[in-house]
Amino acid sequence: MNSIYDSRILNLVIFFPLLVAALVALLPRDEKGQIRAMTFAGMLISMVTTFLAWVGFDAKSTTEFQLTYRAEWLADIGASYHVGVDGLGLTLIVLTGILGPLVVLSSWSFVQERVKEFHIALLVLQTATYGAFAAIDVLLFFIFFEAVLVPMYLLVGVWGSEERQKAAVKFFLYTMVGSVLMLLALFALYFLAAPAGSRSFDYSTLYNGLMAANRELAVYLAANPTGDGVGLSPVAAALFRYGPWLFLAFALAFAIKVPMFPLHTWLPDAHVQAPVAGSMMLAGVMLKLGTYGFWRFAVPLFPVQAREYQTLFATLSVIGIVYGALMCLAQRDIKKLIAYSSVSHLGYCMLGIFAFTTEGATGSAYQMLNHGVSTGALFLLFGFLYERRHARLMSEYGGLAKVVPVYTTFFLVVTFSSIAVPGTNGFVGEFLVLLGTIKSNLPLGFGVLAATGVILGAAYMLWMVQKVFFGQLTHQENLSLKDLSGRELGAAIPFVVLILVMGLRPQPILDVINPASERFVARAKYAQGKGADDLEKVRVQVKALPPKNAVADARPSMAPPVAVPSRVDFQRPTRPTIMQPAPKPVAQ
Amino acid sequence: MDKLQLFFQTAPLDAAHAGQSLWLIIALPLLGAFISGVFGKVIGRANVHLVAIGAVAGSFLLSLLIFWTINDIRTTADTPFGPVSYAVGADFGTWFQAGTFRVNFGLFADHLSGTMLLVITGVGLLIHIYASEYMSHDAGYWRFFAYLNLFVAAMLTLVLADSLPLLFVGWEGVGLCSYLLIGFWYDDPQKAFAGRKAFITNRIGDFGFLLASFVVVLTVESLASLPAENLGRVAASYGPGVVEKGPLAFPVLEASATALSYNLEKTIVDGPLEGLTYGMALTIALLLFLLGAAGKSAQIPLYVWLPDAMAGPTPVSALIHAATMVTSGIYLFCRVSYLVVLSPTAMIVIALIGGTTALVAALIAFTQKGMKKILAYSTVSQLGLMFLGIGVGAFWAAFLHVMTHAFFKACLFLGAGSVMHGNAEEEDVTKLGGLRREMPVTWATFLVSTFAITGIVPLSGFFSKDAILHAAHVNEIAGYHGLQHVAWLLGMATAAATAFYMLRCYLLAFEGERSKDAKIPHAHESAPAMTGPLVVLSVLAVVALVHGLPIMSVRRGGVEVTQTLMENFLDPVFRTTNQLIASRGLVKLPVGHESMVGPWVQAWLIAIVSGGLAFFIYRRFLPRGGSLKAIEPLRRFSYAKFYVDEVYDFLIIKPLGFVSRLLHRVVDALLIDSVAVHGTAWLTARTGAVLRYFQTGDAQMYAAVMTLAAAGGLVWALFNFKVL
Repeated sequence: MNSIYDSRILNLVIFFPLLVAALVALLPRDEKGQIRAMTFAGMLISMVTTFLAWVGFDAKSTTEFQLTYRAEWLADIGASYHVGVDGLGLTLIVLTGILGPLVVLSSWSFVQERVKEFHIALLVLQTATYGAFAAIDVLLFFIFFEAVLVPMYLLVGVWGSEERQKAAVKFFLYTMVGSVLMLLALFALYFLAAPAGSRSFDYSTLYNGLMAANRELAVYLAANPTGDGVGLSPVAAALFRYGPWLFLAFALAFAIKVPMFPLHTWLPDAHVQAPVAGSMMLAGVMLKLGTYGFWRFAVPLFPVQAREYQTLFATLSVIGIVYGALMCLAQRDIKKLIAYSSVSHLGYCMLGIFAFTTEGATGSAYQMLNHGVSTGALFLLFGFLYERRHARLMSEYGGLAKVVPVYTTFFLVVTFSSIAVPGTNGFVGEFLVLLGTIKSNLPLGFGVLAATGVILGAAYMLWMVQKVFFGQLTHQENLSLKDLSGRELGAAIPFVVLILVMGLRPQPILDVINPASERFVARAKYAQGKGADDLEKVRVQVKALPPKNAVADARPSMAPPVAVPSRVDFQRPTRPTIMQPAPKPVAQ
Repeated sequence: MDKLQLFFQTAPLDAAHAGQSLWLIIALPLLGAFISGVFGKVIGRANVHLVAIGAVAGSFLLSLLIFWTINDIRTTADTPFGPVSYAVGADFGTWFQAGTFRVNFGLFADHLSGTMLLVITGVGLLIHIYASEYMSHDAGYWRFFAYLNLFVAAMLTLVLADSLPLLFVGWEGVGLCSYLLIGFWYDDPQKAFAGRKAFITNRIGDFGFLLASFVVVLTVESLASLPAENLGRVAASYGPGVVEKGPLAFPVLEASATALSYNLEKTIVDGPLEGLTYGMALTIALLLFLLGAAGKSAQIPLYVWLPDAMAGPTPVSALIHAATMVTSGIYLFCRVSYLVVLSPTAMIVIALIGGTTALVAALIAFTQKGMKKILAYSTVSQLGLMFLGIGVGAFWAAFLHVMTHAFFKACLFLGAGSVMHGNAEEEDVTKLGGLRREMPVTWATFLVSTFAITGIVPLSGFFSKDAILHAAHVNEIAGYHGLQHVAWLLGMATAAATAFYMLRCYLLAFEGERSKDAKIPHAHESAPAMTGPLVVLSVLAVVALVHGLPIMSVRRGGVEVTQTLMENFLDPVFRTTNQLIASRGLVKLPVGHESMVGPWVQAWLIAIVSGGLAFFIYRRFLPRGGSLKAIEPLRRFSYAKFYVDEVYDFLIIKPLGFVSRLLHRVVDALLIDSVAVHGTAWLTARTGAVLRYFQTGDAQMYAAVMTLAAAGGLVWALFNFKVL
């Protein structure tokens, strides 16, 4: 396994869809079948590449970021092309990979116009999403993070329903507002984290560079909670004064993406108008960019401020859970209901993150995957129905179980997964999140209120199921509905398999996530005062940039056969490779 | 005789193999469910019957084998706290683990779950056979048997699980199957609604269950962090045990109970429960478990779903809503009995909830007309009695009642199904009548079961019910003597009421003349596939009485003590419980049984008098039902089920709907979306629109503005800096 492929697999994962997109672009515009087939094949291969990454990842290793690749890029400002994954990034990448082909299947016959552009948009979206989850360089992350918006904007705005333009613009502007502020905060960090000459956008530079200041600030605030910051070192003083704003700027960008209450109103609109593929990708992976951002950037970079605002964010999460569920009870539009249920589910993810306990964090990460699977499946299945009937209101349906029994069975299974019946994937995530919240330093009321979501979730989902599937057939048009076709079964079965496998054998996935969540919690609690920090866990260790003109990273060894370095040697460098100053263009 | 005894006490399997094979018991019905569900339409009705019945029969045989195995004293299950005799178990590795929390896939069968195994698969098998005839005209047969098999699998998971989360899989799994089966005829919106109501009400209970589990986790982890000398007997193995099995495994909970018994008054110093004593934390956990159990076992305040659940096909009512699923609350408390006996507060609450539920449900059952409705309320009432038994520490008696109740109530429900089958689906008892001659087998079995539930000597129901009431009378919960007496009185009143309403049901349906309102002039007796299970169940309802006889004598602390068969049989299960009762003395059990003749006569008199009264009233004055003029308002109040559903609707469901619509319109649509979001957009647009007028492109204008601004700046500088 210790080969050149290991260090480049992520490049393959990220850019393969783009390559396919280029090929698709060469196809004649009218060959819709060919376009679809090629995209589908590309997505399948792309999914396999993510599996290869999964296989190459060593969950037991003490190295945080694995499968890394680092190359020079914009060296003048200290950025680099640096990708790698930890447990969270990897699982989200695999989720994205699995959703890819299913998304293509879902819109096989739904999209009939501008087929070529549609599939190119899907492929580009895939690349951008992979990139965002794999980027270690924060500037690179930002670029991918923003790049996601463009294809998604097009998916909603071009192939959506009646009011697609409005929804797309709303979605785009909403998320842009947060991103711009985040970019400003990122620049501020860039200047704070390292002295001139060694500045870099690399995650390790930013994080490690702020560690001392964060510790100083934490100790200072613990000693004088109402102090005015006099006597702090310059960086700590800057963090003291501007830290909350910087944190909130990051948090705002990600909170909009999640979306957290009360920044969620773009989501129902976008979901309702988006085509089925758009909804699936939006719910499946795009919302996770928000939670991922909190996990990777907002909380670890500003541990002091994150702890300060912990109660606020936990409160908003709990409100999101309950409020989202209550909103569902007031909906008549099925897609809106599913969208609001996303608000509720993502509330669990956020609560798990802001519990700052390993159980909560792991549960949150698992819940991100679960939400991708179950809500993705809900949108997929509803998409099939919408394609047949072009109606979104519950009152347009009723008694469907008689006409489309297979479809109903699938919908029921997904519903049970969505309301976290034990044995399905939803339960493990929800249980861990709630347990983590109860075990956290938050008051017990947070866990208790969040657990009411268990009741409300069942209430709205089963209400919807009854309205749509049970009772008498009330509409003539529904009499002749066709049950799932072979292609549709092909798209739906993987979801059901995932639901059951992830519910019954979650441990292999949790094993990958657990080290990441331990690190996250260690970073969130950095310098909190109780006990010493496990610097092994807290400090971000990455590979240094390769020397100029050398092939980046892990050359296949040219040494004599006996001396082939083992995998462990590669991942535990003998000297602590912390951050390496970027090549200095000029002398001081 | 001795040789026979030896034969039955010699395990046919060694413990390790038996433990490793426990999963097969669950897997068989699961496989059956899969085959019936996916290929049921293709393979046809007969094959579905074969698969479904065969799967349950296989499970039954395996259960017998396991039961046989755990009757051998040499059979032990290994736990981190030492071997447990009369049990088998196996750990199949981690289910999920994060941080310090872990759950394993562990299965475990002792005498408690072993008995449940036999009840579930045995009664389940009979009901499957019955259903093959009962559902013979239904097009959805494959769906039905798939759900039914799935239910059996879930219920078996529930009783075989060796940790709370795994038990919860079965717990919610049976709720799920119940939802599917109640709403089996989904094209009737009311039936679909009844299924939904059941699931959501159960979910309220599950909310309590989850929170209870979390409180237990906190308590266990807090205990594990205590210094070893505080943990007494289990100190050495406690910490490693928690790590190995996870804080929610039953062996860990058993050890925790022992550890807790030394620390009940101690205050928790760290963590989220800081400030509470261990005893208080335990009480909170148990009360939350009670909420969970109240959901599943239909107790106040969550009992409302069970009567509506009768919308499902009758075999479902018999299996799920009488014999097995609804008793899981009692099973749960028996499982964690070692925790229950440490909290007198929780015990008295359980006893009172049980007693009150028993009486309220019995009072509602007085006036119901639907046969299944009467039986449903009677189930709620009997479950209440079982809770009463749990509450006063008579776990074995409550469990005995679970078993006998499974037999006679299943028989009653199936009898009701047979009546409906033979009477064109008529279930109103006032529109039946005179069935004795037309349906002799159904009549005979129904009568036996009616006597059993009424508590006529010498049927099984008499012994189990009396054991509960006797314990409620003589056991003493520390500090709550007065309230306990109230609970006992509630139980006695329930016993009297039970005799009355069951006799009423029986008399109206089976005796007298056939009603003029009957749908068809003559009823017909059901097929053997239906009457066969009835006969078996009614025989079981009789022979189960041996478990209630005080025929075993054991030495307890140097004293020769007489125990009933069931008490003796469950002794290994409740070993820790009994030790804790002895060491902490929070519940006082009488040493040995004094003569049971007095209480037996008392109970028997109550049943006879009350039943006789019903006989007198309904044979003499009201042969066609109805009520006496004087108590008509009372009858109507009871017939309307005390308006509990309406109150819930008014207090909870309507306001919830109102609040969600209000929030949606006002907060979401208006405040957030219109004002905040579109408001911002509007403001931006307006600002742009205004500023647009300054962007004229007229260079002279720009120059003029620039000059003016520069002049203004100059003036300002002049006045502020006072250069001159």
